[in-house]
Amino acid sequence: MDATTVLAEINGNIATVGYGLAAIGPAIGVGIVVGKTIEGVARQPELAGRLQVLMWIGIAFTEALAFIGIATYFIFTA
Amino acid sequence: MKSAEILRASLKWGGLLALAIAVVGGGLGYLVDGNRGLTSALIGTAMSIVFLGITAASILFANRWFGTDLFVPIFFGIVMGGWLIKFVLFLVLAVLLKDQPWINPTVLFLSIIAGVIGALTVDVIIVSKSRMPYVSDVTLPGDEKRPN
Repeated sequence: MDATTVLAEINGNIATVGYGLAAIGPAIGVGIVVGKTIEGVARQPELAGRLQVLMWIGIAFTEALAFIGIATYFIFTA
Repeated sequence: MKSAEILRASLKWGGLLALAIAVVGGGLGYLVDGNRGLTSALIGTAMSIVFLGITAASILFANRWFGTDLFVPIFFGIVMGGWLIKFVLFLVLAVLLKDQPWINPTVLFLSIIAGVIGALTVDVIIVSKSRMPYVSDVTLPGDEKRPN
């Protein structure tokens, strides 16, 4: 086997890389949602209840992407 | 309506929806792949609803520190910590369940998707129907007698 073939060889399941990619978006999304909620609560603590509910629905939608990303592990096989 | 009521309602209706999805998905799974399909559908529904419910449950739990000086760090520590633990658990479960002979991966995947989309739908309906005052979670004179 020549050196080029050895360098280019990749073993394992490519779905692992897929999970890594799928984690980036939700991570940034949840970071923004939570960061903005902290900002809002710090500015107006009496709004904490309302902001919590909005944060929760924002997290729910963003994390759904991550869940589906991980769950694809069950159907995508190398 | 307080934020806690909205979160509790979402947990309640999410649980009921999970039951419905478990019955329908379990039936379909049984038709597709016998007992393997049934087990996979039940596990998939349970996973999706438990993992989405943890966010609401952790917010409810973290609200016990409402009004204390350290509320903001405690709150976000609990909610984000719960989120992280949830994902680690989910990954471990995925790795453990993937190659089990009694699991049908396709049925499991589809029931997780059904559970996630169903839970999101319930959440949106509950939030859009809720009426929260502009300044929420305050106690007015006379409120002490009312149940929360």
